[in-house]
Amino acid sequence: MVAAVIRTKLAVLRHSATGPRAAATATGGIVGLLLAAAVLAVAAGGPPVTAPLSAERASDLLAVALAVWTLGWFVGPVLFGGGDESLRPEHFALLPLGRRRITAALGLAAFVGVAPTVTLVALGSLVVLAARSGHGAGALAVAVAAALAQLVATVITSRLVTAAANQVMGSRAGAGAAGVVSAALLAATHSAWVLAPVAGTMTRDGLPDTVAAGLRAAPSGWGLAAVEAAGRGDLRGVLAALGGLVALAVAAWWVWSFLVGRRLTAPRVRRATGRAGGAGRRARGPVGAVVARELRTWSRDRLRVHLACFAVCYALVLCLLPVAVGSWVFVPWTGLVLAVWLAAVSSNLYGDDGTELWVKLTVPGGLSHDVRGRQLAWLVVAAPPALVLSVGGVVASGQGWAVVWLAALLPAVLGGGSGVVALASVLRPVPLPDPHRRGGNLLQNGVDFTQVLVVLALTAVSALPAVLAAARGPGWAAPVVGVTTGAVLAWALGGLAARRLEATAPELLLALRTGTRGPRAAPSAPRRPGQRRLPPVRPGGRPAGAPPVRDVLARVGLDRAPAGRRLYVLVTLTVCWVPLAAQGVVPAALLRAGVGADDVEPSWFLALHVPPHLAWPAVAAMVVLGLALLVSGLAVGWQYLRQTRRG
Amino acid sequence: MVRTVRPDVVALRIEGLARSFGAKVAVEAVDLEVPRGSWFGLVGPNGAGKSTTLAMATGLLRPDSGRAEVFGVDVWSRRADAQRLLGVLPDGLALPERLTGRELLRFTGLLRGMAPADVERRAGDLLGVLGLDDAPRTLVAEYSTGMRKKIGLAAALLHAPRLLVLDEPLEAVDPVSAATIKGLLRRYVDDGGTVVFSSHVMAVVEQVCDRVAAIVDGRVVAAGTTAEVAAGAGLEARFVSLVGGRGRRIEEGLPWLRP
Repeated sequence: MVAAVIRTKLAVLRHSATGPRAAATATGGIVGLLLAAAVLAVAAGGPPVTAPLSAERASDLLAVALAVWTLGWFVGPVLFGGGDESLRPEHFALLPLGRRRITAALGLAAFVGVAPTVTLVALGSLVVLAARSGHGAGALAVAVAAALAQLVATVITSRLVTAAANQVMGSRAGAGAAGVVSAALLAATHSAWVLAPVAGTMTRDGLPDTVAAGLRAAPSGWGLAAVEAAGRGDLRGVLAALGGLVALAVAAWWVWSFLVGRRLTAPRVRRATGRAGGAGRRARGPVGAVVARELRTWSRDRLRVHLACFAVCYALVLCLLPVAVGSWVFVPWTGLVLAVWLAAVSSNLYGDDGTELWVKLTVPGGLSHDVRGRQLAWLVVAAPPALVLSVGGVVASGQGWAVVWLAALLPAVLGGGSGVVALASVLRPVPLPDPHRRGGNLLQNGVDFTQVLVVLALTAVSALPAVLAAARGPGWAAPVVGVTTGAVLAWALGGLAARRLEATAPELLLALRTGTRGPRAAPSAPRRPGQRRLPPVRPGGRPAGAPPVRDVLARVGLDRAPAGRRLYVLVTLTVCWVPLAAQGVVPAALLRAGVGADDVEPSWFLALHVPPHLAWPAVAAMVVLGLALLVSGLAVGWQYLRQTRRG
Repeated sequence: MVRTVRPDVVALRIEGLARSFGAKVAVEAVDLEVPRGSWFGLVGPNGAGKSTTLAMATGLLRPDSGRAEVFGVDVWSRRADAQRLLGVLPDGLALPERLTGRELLRFTGLLRGMAPADVERRAGDLLGVLGLDDAPRTLVAEYSTGMRKKIGLAAALLHAPRLLVLDEPLEAVDPVSAATIKGLLRRYVDDGGTVVFSSHVMAVVEQVCDRVAAIVDGRVVAAGTTAEVAAGAGLEARFVSLVGGRGRRIEEGLPWLRP
């Protein structure tokens, strides 16, 4: 059976080794190999251009690298829709095999593929470390055993986690968890630069003892612990670490076999989630009915739960991460960031509800009641957490000066947000499959890159008068201006949205029904002969198991851009934050606050390294560079988005 | 089409409605008159343009040309007035999916501006009659196809409209519920209501409808009382002959299809 399973898996891999999937697999493999090479280099003592790391420092960094690597095995499949399903338990269901043997077969198949191979290369770092420390053949043998045992434990545990996640992904809890994880990743990439000084300190001085011990105590560090124990001649330590890995793998396989059995015998039944008497009994009037209905949707729809969790978690990570380096300056703004992001991710309300729009079309006045009700419901969802986080942030950080600003900005952004959300939902709906026909893939969520940027920008702009009032005006003016702009924007933008909807609802319904924004037309820009164009993507029709990266590219309209332009957009929009925020705004704030290079660790802030009279020009240059990257990247991206959306 | 009905007793009048999607002509030019107090059946093969016609007649799809009137009120220029008179059940569109059946009716009634107490009473009646009160905690998204039809029908009936336009209301509905629905609609018609409904099932149309129109390739090919259209041959046989040539070689069967 072993041979048959491996042959089957190889056949599946061979059949998918054509076209775009092969390209994606190859790209993934190359990136993985580069990362594995980096891990190997760490074990070998760092890049050749620097002084070699001591064995102890190398071990510490290796522990971090392996922990992150293992985390990738757990988080990746959960984030990107269920993991490798090329061989499913159902394929074996009709064979006379027990669940343990089916699970063993699936486990075996899990080792055939690009990811396990790349991981094995990365785990070769254990062997390199052992060879480098020169403790002889015995230590080398331990390292080889440790690498293999860790691979087995990692892959099997990852399969268990993925199987467990698949059982809950259909639930709202799973959708929320996925939102939390993806928000944490995104926010961390946006504000990870604040950790640069920490990383610098870490490579120079090594990890704090508790962290170093913790990393070795976690299963991801057991292989490393075995190698280090072998170096000390500690046989019991070696046996404990290796035995732990084997025991973990066996235990994971055993638990996994229960999940496989459950999947084969008890198909997932969705629980009835409504209330027996029905909610909204106290709702009064048409707008009240829409509010009640929207609140049910916010609490019951997996996609909405996902997006709400995303916004909350993004705000928390973005504003709390700098606390790690002792900066509390972002903390009071957590609620504000939450409100802005919640507006950005909930600006597809009509696309999200699908063809349900017909109900309001058949009710006299239903469309404008619907717009107003949705605005109110958005406020009910957004305002309480934004308020709580703002108050909590001010109290926790002790930055009382922020109160005036928040009193101005929060009502302006909440009001503006409720208007912008309604208007964007009407003007730029992204058609989605109807809710009852939607699959479990949360990446197909209709969050449109341009839409998010536009809504972010508009919501931020709605705070401008409040900013002016708070900065220049007397103390009482800030909240008055904030509340007034919020109210006016909510009323005016909502009215605009309602009128627009009244005029175009049948067309909007048709668009939602047919998904008019796809299939996209090829770009009309002239292409040079021989210029490579990346394969097209069918929106909404992603074949099972295809790389989700293409979903993302399709959504931002880059799926048909030439490879070079696509790379430019992705790189500029990722990198521009470094000069703009990290080297521009932050050192500017430090300089403004009168902090000089003498007072703080200049870290990697260029402006604090240059002579004082060049500090401000350095900041200005960085801001200009960042803006140039941002604007040019957006311009190129926008050009392709417009071309691809025209079909 | 010859005017057979006096204008003051017309519930739904459709004049020259036409609609294309790109190069495909879905409805070429449809004229229909539905007399007040009638149960009107719309029949036709798949893709003939029935649903498109009904969507244009109820204000859900803007026609390229032509007009539709409900009791003399233009559906497109006086939408709100027309919607007050109409109850609509479209086919294949989403409902408020994350609500239970009772919540859906409550939401629809309140959105229409009905008094909460009325909504509660009527919703209870409808859920009971249609057999939807066994699953009080189930969200509409989890409903079966038949249950979806029934809750959609309940929402269309809730405000007691004067004209019901129902697209395939009995599709996938169990026989017991179908009988209930037919009884309910019969009573409604007897009390002076008007029903327009589309169906693929000729036996049902023949059983319940007093008037019938057949649409083929976006055109009305026959219209009149059920007896007139059936022309003594039975509606199914007449329909097959109207559609023409689509059921070829039935007698011979498929030579390989032998048990």
